[in-house]
Amino acid sequence: MAYQNQQIAEVADVLKKRFAELENKNDILRATELKALFDELKTLPSEERPKFGQEINALRQELQKMVMGAQDEDEALPAIDITAPFDVNTKESERPSLLPTETGSKHPLMTELEEVLDIFYRMGFTAVESREIDDDYHMFGALNFPEGHPARDDYDTFMTTDGLIAPAHTSTMQNRVLKAQKANLEQGKPVATVIPGRVFRNEDLDARHEHTFYQLEGVYVDEGVHAGHLIATLKTFLQEYYGKELDVKTQPFYFPFTEPSFEFAISCPFCDKKGCNVCSQTGWIELLGCGMIHPAVLHEAGIDSEKYTGFAWGMGIERLVMMKYGIEDVRYFESARLDFLRQFS
Amino acid sequence: MKVSLNWVKEFTKANLPIGLLVDKIGAQLGAVDAVINLGERYQGIVLVKVVACEKLEGSDHLSVCQVDDGGKVKDVERDKDGYVQVVCGAPNVRAGMLVAWLPPGTTVPASWDGEKFVLEAREIRGQKSNGMLASAKELAIGDSHEGLLELNERDGKPGDDFVKVYHLDDYIIDIENKMFTHRPDCFGMIGLAREIAGITHESFTSPDWYRNQPSFAKGDGLPLEVQNELPEQVPRFVVVALKGVQIAPSPVWLQTYLSRLGVRPINNVVDVTNYVMLLTGQPLHAYDYDKVKALSEGGKAVLAARNPHSGEKLTLLNGKEIEPRAEAILIATNKQAIGLGGVMGGAETEVSSDTKNIILECATFDMYSIRRTSMAHGLFTDAVTRFTKGQSSLQNDRVVVKALELLEQLAGAQLGSEVIDNDHANKSAHVVPVAESFINQRLGLDLKGDDMATLLRNVEFEVGVNGQNLAVQAPFWRTDIELREDVVEEVGRLYGYDHLPLKLPKRDLTPAKRDALLETKAAVRAVLAKAGANGVLTYSFVHGNLLEKVGQDPNDAFQLSNALSPDLQYYRLSLTPSLLASVHTNIKAGYDEFALFEMGKVHTKSALEGNLPVEFDNLALVYTASKSAKAGAAYYEAEKFLNELARQFGLQLEYVPLKSPSEQDVVFEPGRSAQVLIKGTSESLGALGEFKVSVRKNLKLPNKTAGFEISLPKLMRAMNAKTYVALPKYPKVTQDISLKVKAEVTYGELETALMTELMKAKPKNTQLDISTLDIYQRDDDTSHKQVAFRVSIASYERTLTDQEVNAFLDQAAAALKNKLAAERL
Repeated sequence: MAYQNQQIAEVADVLKKRFAELENKNDILRATELKALFDELKTLPSEERPKFGQEINALRQELQKMVMGAQDEDEALPAIDITAPFDVNTKESERPSLLPTETGSKHPLMTELEEVLDIFYRMGFTAVESREIDDDYHMFGALNFPEGHPARDDYDTFMTTDGLIAPAHTSTMQNRVLKAQKANLEQGKPVATVIPGRVFRNEDLDARHEHTFYQLEGVYVDEGVHAGHLIATLKTFLQEYYGKELDVKTQPFYFPFTEPSFEFAISCPFCDKKGCNVCSQTGWIELLGCGMIHPAVLHEAGIDSEKYTGFAWGMGIERLVMMKYGIEDVRYFESARLDFLRQFS
Repeated sequence: MKVSLNWVKEFTKANLPIGLLVDKIGAQLGAVDAVINLGERYQGIVLVKVVACEKLEGSDHLSVCQVDDGGKVKDVERDKDGYVQVVCGAPNVRAGMLVAWLPPGTTVPASWDGEKFVLEAREIRGQKSNGMLASAKELAIGDSHEGLLELNERDGKPGDDFVKVYHLDDYIIDIENKMFTHRPDCFGMIGLAREIAGITHESFTSPDWYRNQPSFAKGDGLPLEVQNELPEQVPRFVVVALKGVQIAPSPVWLQTYLSRLGVRPINNVVDVTNYVMLLTGQPLHAYDYDKVKALSEGGKAVLAARNPHSGEKLTLLNGKEIEPRAEAILIATNKQAIGLGGVMGGAETEVSSDTKNIILECATFDMYSIRRTSMAHGLFTDAVTRFTKGQSSLQNDRVVVKALELLEQLAGAQLGSEVIDNDHANKSAHVVPVAESFINQRLGLDLKGDDMATLLRNVEFEVGVNGQNLAVQAPFWRTDIELREDVVEEVGRLYGYDHLPLKLPKRDLTPAKRDALLETKAAVRAVLAKAGANGVLTYSFVHGNLLEKVGQDPNDAFQLSNALSPDLQYYRLSLTPSLLASVHTNIKAGYDEFALFEMGKVHTKSALEGNLPVEFDNLALVYTASKSAKAGAAYYEAEKFLNELARQFGLQLEYVPLKSPSEQDVVFEPGRSAQVLIKGTSESLGALGEFKVSVRKNLKLPNKTAGFEISLPKLMRAMNAKTYVALPKYPKVTQDISLKVKAEVTYGELETALMTELMKAKPKNTQLDISTLDIYQRDDDTSHKQVAFRVSIASYERTLTDQEVNAFLDQAAAALKNKLAAERL
């Protein structure tokens, strides 16, 4: 690694030579020359600091890698025969084994997602996963968000230093799905796809809010599709999922990619609308946003909005699971804690 | 967005019971977050005249007052004249004053949302005090706490209910703002009144002053000039100077209208601008004319709209000094900046108690510019909320009419200049032609064109009906109506979505195709869970330190520019480090032996497809044991899980030494890890093995830890159907064979060679299997090892004999002696 700063380059040479002689390799990270460089950083004028700081960090990283490398060489365990089914000299009772089935478990979010996908599959929907890193076009542009539009603020998106986006909704796949299945429409068949995926929002964590969670998107396009179809389809899915008859209600909402847009609620299946903790005593649970796909979104995918209309929706999965089991903190889902995970099968 | 029902009722009947009205608003306008019953907070409070007032002996601020409530309140102690005694600590209390009295038993309105303070009759310094006389703050009408709120004789008389006099028997309905992102007209009471009329199927007509083109008289005495350098971002700039202004508190009725919607009353001029904003959604601003003139050149007040000069600063009304962003809209004189257009006024030209002349500004600012300015400087004001939705630039002159009326009425303001209307607004009317069938098809309804027209005309659309076609012209404040689909939404919403027919779309019997990747993941999940492993999900973003701790390079990873914290700064390069990072906490929680697996996407900067990163779908598993009763390397435990997947999915795998690990696989210890290949190809599925010492130490992993990370798409392509072998009818013969080889000969080499020779040597038409019994190395001979195999063979034709089997085993052993110098023991 070549250092541009003369001073740092000199220290690098000195330290690397010293490293070879050191008994305890870790000591190189405590070298006084290295500390002196960090102290020097504070005295520099502010314009020079970022570059100097970057190079000191690069040097520290290089030294750290050398320490790790030495450690790995010195303390590595002896090589083994990786083609063998078990280690040499192991008694029969000590051969490797799988763990008992009763300790195993599937992640509850994934189990729920499988169930949800199965219902939609039975209703005639194919499925495809959404992306975990995407661009502005798919996140906003193809979905009728004009540049600089205030609606973009509602999404609290994470961005990368290269200008890519961590998707804040699974709608990033709408344009791709519509384009890929346009041919269906020409053959007199509908576009019917659900899209599960991980999404990200720049939000502070608490018991009800996570920055990483799962959504399920849905898209249905055909000739003569209307808003009544939308409500009926979602009602049918939710009745199947909860295994009982439900009342539904919609409230007008606003999304740039649907017109009209709705928030969709069902009568609380846990108390049959009488009022309980789950529905905060209101008797209703608001579950998802939906609407008729905006003509601009259809046009962007090359679909004639005069002839074809469709609807779309987005639903959060964590909430379904939390309500079902009475889970008190959404952060457990990504915690990898066996205390939590082994409660599910 | 808070709505005052009483204010709305000035414009439309809205006669429904509150519960039904709230339901309808929720179903047809926007979700209702809260409904506040304002009236209940003011129950029992009455207007009283202070008849007599004397200083209380021994106190420097208390007075003993006799108040006249016209005998209204029951069960309270009265003197011989029927007056009630109240001790009051306000400095401005005097006889003859009309004020609000809170009798015993009433609650102080300002305490309603916290700990309710209920008044009692009590003694203060030996004097009976029945309740209290109220200040604006106690009445939750303003911040003023220095004295009693003095009421105007014209408002009411002693004994009148305070709640009725000031129309406080009101409901405040808080509607979720997100619904109104594209409805700038709904940020004013007139717009909301119109909507409520529309959804209750009542016809609505805006007040004359809002509907009609005004013509203004000309004032004089206050020279005023306007210079708009940004006509595209400030399409309308209406300005007028007013003289003879008398700054005073607003009348109480006005103060209550502001306070009930969360706006603080300040003085009559500022309050009128806020009142008119709350009424119409159009923000206004008032400047002190003389201060503006003093800051202008040329003996007149000059108002200009321009971009800031480099380095220019401005002190705002909130006291903060900012350097406005280069493209911000600045309001300035011809000498200096005096306001951040559409966001907040400047401190130097603020209207204050000695202001005699004002300039009223009613402008339209580009919504995108206002949003950028607001975000750049962290300023979120009522004006910003309204301008960022795109207020119509056709309403300004009408709004000014109302403002002028109120300013004259309440502050004595007279025109001091002409009304300058710097107008670049696009006035073209936009007619949307739409067929009745277009609307019905998208709603699933069967409405008649005339019915659709009525719904729209109720909210002041102009609709021409020509057979089956409508020509729809939206009123000027509806900037959201552009496409036919916008008309569809309007008709559906006003009609009511609960009338939509709930019918499922029809389909044919063709089953929907399942997605291969999702199916594979479900199958893998089931196999590994059954094998005793636990499926986990961990974050896609990791700390740069984690990458370094496992020897991966953060420079290869996509980095977030607005990460929540350094813990979540990089898109992970592989799944294994996240699983390893989850090991320690589970061990501390008491789990001694476990296997975690995860399926997820990983990315690296070095793999792009077009402009987007390639998404690698991986499966990773980590096995660990902090206390293991079993000897033997962890490698083999992890291998067991991978082999189970191979068994279930018909994978033919080959394990070769891990020579040059990829970026992803640098975590593995080369001497104790394998590259996993699809047998017969050089295609690598992934890597399997134990982890480097440095990784174990950095992540506090038990020594007995190993895992694998493989590509799911490659696994999918390598899957084979399970094969079935027909059962031989003749009995199996089993024999063991022990072979001694040099230590460097791998088990794999030996097993492959043995199988090859056995298949050559065995009789035809037989089924042969081998299994491994033992791998043994003597302490005193580490240059050799012994592997014992169990060979079982059965024929499809006849019973085989032990001698036969032994014979071909010898044959195979002989060949192995040649090939590998293997000795049969």
